[in-house]
Amino acid sequence: MSSTDFKDGLIKEIPNLRAFAASLSGSIQLADDLVQDTLLKAWGNSDKFEPGTSLRAWLFTILRNTYYSLYRKRGREVQDSEGTYAERMATHGNQESHLDLADFRKALAKLPEEQREVLIMVGATGLSYEETAEICGVAIGTIKSRVNRARTKLAELLSVGSLDDLGPDRRSAAAIQRVSSEIVGS
Amino acid sequence: MSNVDSAMAAPEDGADADAEVMLDPRVQESIGRSLKAHYDDIVNAPVPDKFLVLLAQLEATERRAAGASTDELN
Repeated sequence: MSSTDFKDGLIKEIPNLRAFAASLSGSIQLADDLVQDTLLKAWGNSDKFEPGTSLRAWLFTILRNTYYSLYRKRGREVQDSEGTYAERMATHGNQESHLDLADFRKALAKLPEEQREVLIMVGATGLSYEETAEICGVAIGTIKSRVNRARTKLAELLSVGSLDDLGPDRRSAAAIQRVSSEIVGS
Repeated sequence: MSNVDSAMAAPEDGADADAEVMLDPRVQESIGRSLKAHYDDIVNAPVPDKFLVLLAQLEATERRAAGASTDELN
């Protein structure tokens, strides 16, 4: 693979790297630092990339390792002092979907990161369970169990707030009801 | 991988009975759509120029290095 082909491949993956980095770190500023580090490392190790394999999976592995070794602590500090990107990030949709998205992002930011990262990888990036398992260095069964737990927790979080005074059973029933009515309403 | 294998491959996370509770498919679908909306919103945001500048610089540096070593050989 020529260095120009490799460069073009990296350029195509930048939007996905930013989205994954922001989902991991909870901050778009940190995300861009993380993406820059990832691109530098990828460039320096381009001989280790095997053409024909998924460049996205390879880059996500680098980004994730960089995050856990260098950025995780900074991410928590930024969130503590500035709030998460959920409250700060500009969105590109209309006003109504903006509000839904902001709520969703707040809930997403509350998930344990090991659940959040797999939910994003499996649910939004187009990576397979197999690729996700390889990136995280765990078994596929572990990924499936984390995804299930993340979904359950999210459904719970999205209903909490207005329903704090209800018991857990009624709360999750209300969550399902609320989401269902959104589906019917849309 | 069979379901039995998946179940056996997950001891790291412990036997968490809650994780096995299946959500209403409509709730799953709604979460799936929100995940995509969150992610695609960032994917579709304009890419800062600094990344393209960085990669162009890295490529130019490599070209110069390659050119320099060719010069030495000649």
